[in-house]
Amino acid sequence: MKDNRSQEQNRQTRRARLSIWFFCGILMLADGLVLLGQGIFERFGQKAATVLANLQPTLWWGVLLTIFGVFYTVRFRPATHSTD
Amino acid sequence: MLSLASSFPVLGVQMTRLNPVDVLILLLYFALVIFIGFYVKGSTNTSEEFFLAGREMSAWVAGLSFVSANLGSLELMGWAGAAYQYGMLATHWYWIGAIPAMLFLGIVMMPFYYISKTHSVPGYLHLRFGEGARALSAVSFALMTILMSGVNMYAMAVVMQTVLGWNLTFSIWVGAGTVALYVMLGGLRSAIINEVLQFILIWAGAATIPILGLIEAHGWTNLKTQIATNIGNTNYTHLWNTLGGFKDNPMGVHWTGIVFGLGFVISFGYWTTDFLVVQRVLSANSLRSAKMAPVIGAAFKMAIPLIVILPGLIALGLHNADGSMVFHLVPGSVAKATGQHSYDDVLPLMLVRYCGPGLLGLGITALIAGFMSGMAGNISAFSTVWTYDLYSAFINKRASDRHYVAMGRWSTVIGMLVSIATAYLVMNAASIMDYVQALFSFFIAPLFGTVILGMLWKRATRAGGFWGLLAGTTASIGMFVWVRLNADGLRYIAMSPDARPMAENLYRALWSWLICVVVTVTVSLMTNAVPTAQLAGLVYGVTPLPSDGAEKLWQKPAFWAVVVIVVFFILNIVFF
Repeated sequence: MKDNRSQEQNRQTRRARLSIWFFCGILMLADGLVLLGQGIFERFGQKAATVLANLQPTLWWGVLLTIFGVFYTVRFRPATHSTD
Repeated sequence: MLSLASSFPVLGVQMTRLNPVDVLILLLYFALVIFIGFYVKGSTNTSEEFFLAGREMSAWVAGLSFVSANLGSLELMGWAGAAYQYGMLATHWYWIGAIPAMLFLGIVMMPFYYISKTHSVPGYLHLRFGEGARALSAVSFALMTILMSGVNMYAMAVVMQTVLGWNLTFSIWVGAGTVALYVMLGGLRSAIINEVLQFILIWAGAATIPILGLIEAHGWTNLKTQIATNIGNTNYTHLWNTLGGFKDNPMGVHWTGIVFGLGFVISFGYWTTDFLVVQRVLSANSLRSAKMAPVIGAAFKMAIPLIVILPGLIALGLHNADGSMVFHLVPGSVAKATGQHSYDDVLPLMLVRYCGPGLLGLGITALIAGFMSGMAGNISAFSTVWTYDLYSAFINKRASDRHYVAMGRWSTVIGMLVSIATAYLVMNAASIMDYVQALFSFFIAPLFGTVILGMLWKRATRAGGFWGLLAGTTASIGMFVWVRLNADGLRYIAMSPDARPMAENLYRALWSWLICVVVTVTVSLMTNAVPTAQLAGLVYGVTPLPSDGAEKLWQKPAFWAVVVIVVFFILNIVFF
């Protein structure tokens, strides 16, 4: 059995914990920015040798992931949210 | 549920190579995964925290983790290949083969698992049927999870070698080392966080394929026409209207096998008693969350055919300017001999077709994440069952909580080392992989019979539970051996001379479940009933179920379960 003090410490630990959604947000943001950079490079440089490369899927997918990532990173940033 | 035994990667010609930008995406993922392991370690000090994530996960997290633990890459690639081979029939394994069972778990069974405060499914069997049933279930489960982890590991290594030319040993040790590290450090909590991350990543990495594929095929209606032209009939784009006879569909199955074998026994067995998935729901922070988690999981499960089945169908429908098919995929056995691409290569082939630098890295990272999710699910479930249901139950009953946490961490590492040994064993004798997958299926169907009778029928006794489980499992193994020794046995098991191998799994599960139920009922009626007072909290009818706290309609798990089942019926009618 835990005593009250350790329970309180556990609660404090939980309060300081990063949200699962924050982790999802920063990974999508990082991947989105990498894709965005690659997409811009392809837009003004050499296109990828893939089917439908003319639609610039890397650029648009990068935009989508960046928006998703920014939303989740900001919405669940550590200062305002604790656990999942 | 794993793809049936046909799903096995075949070594072939290297498809592509990674650019620096792809490597960067891969490294970002590995860095975050390892960071999470170290970050979570500080809050996994007690056994409740290590093995059940402190029972503080929200319904959304538990639900996504629940469905993600099942969404391994072996499953993704296997069923994408099955869609190329069998058409839309493969969707049954995602819809009727999952949704009703997931909802049943959430609404009917979860209250018993949750309020009994058990740590595992073998733990529930211990409370309901005693040590014998628990030991049988725990030993078989521990053995199978560790073997499946090794199979996952080897499959990942083969895929990475086929797609990228990576060394098998490098892939096995990097994948295993990473998973072992984050599960050992953070236990189930770390596994769950990573599974949610992996679920998002799998969608981010794989969703571009069906989008670009549909654009290339000029929409769904045109794709159906192209498939009908390539195949010569319209059977590949229907769910039900070809299931009237074994000969009428490419899978060689009958609707009774799909509805009763898959939709009832296999599906309910897997989703309601396989501890690998149930463990995720047990981590929920309240009864309402525990009931909602499978409902949320079911909603997402219904969408997965978009990234698994659709790419297989698109590959089946694409054709060149001269009318020939773009992809000529062959069975694994043929691919081994001829060097062609097998059915299971369809997802990586589509990835290479549509994804350039960056997107390719994201797709490969998604595949690796899926493999790691499969390994982590197996290894964290193994660690729990070993520590709670074998070590603390039979070897060391009176150790401290800290000791059991340490045992959980050590069993993670040792379990992973045994898995690596399994991976090398499979490498030297590839057919073992098919047998390992089959072995897993032996225990699922009878276990469902035992658990469901235990929960819903108070007259079921301890002896009945044990002998029913043993008889069902033995019968399942017996039928498997029979068909291997004499292929003619299949016509009797599936009750049709036209049945094909896919039907064997469905009907074998159905028979082994029936045998388990009949033996359990018979033995129970011949033995003394368990006093009702001992069944409180374990059996329907003698347990006052506590309120889940939902007051408004939209808070009730049952309401959302109805919404999901209505969508499920609509989808089945649309694609009938």
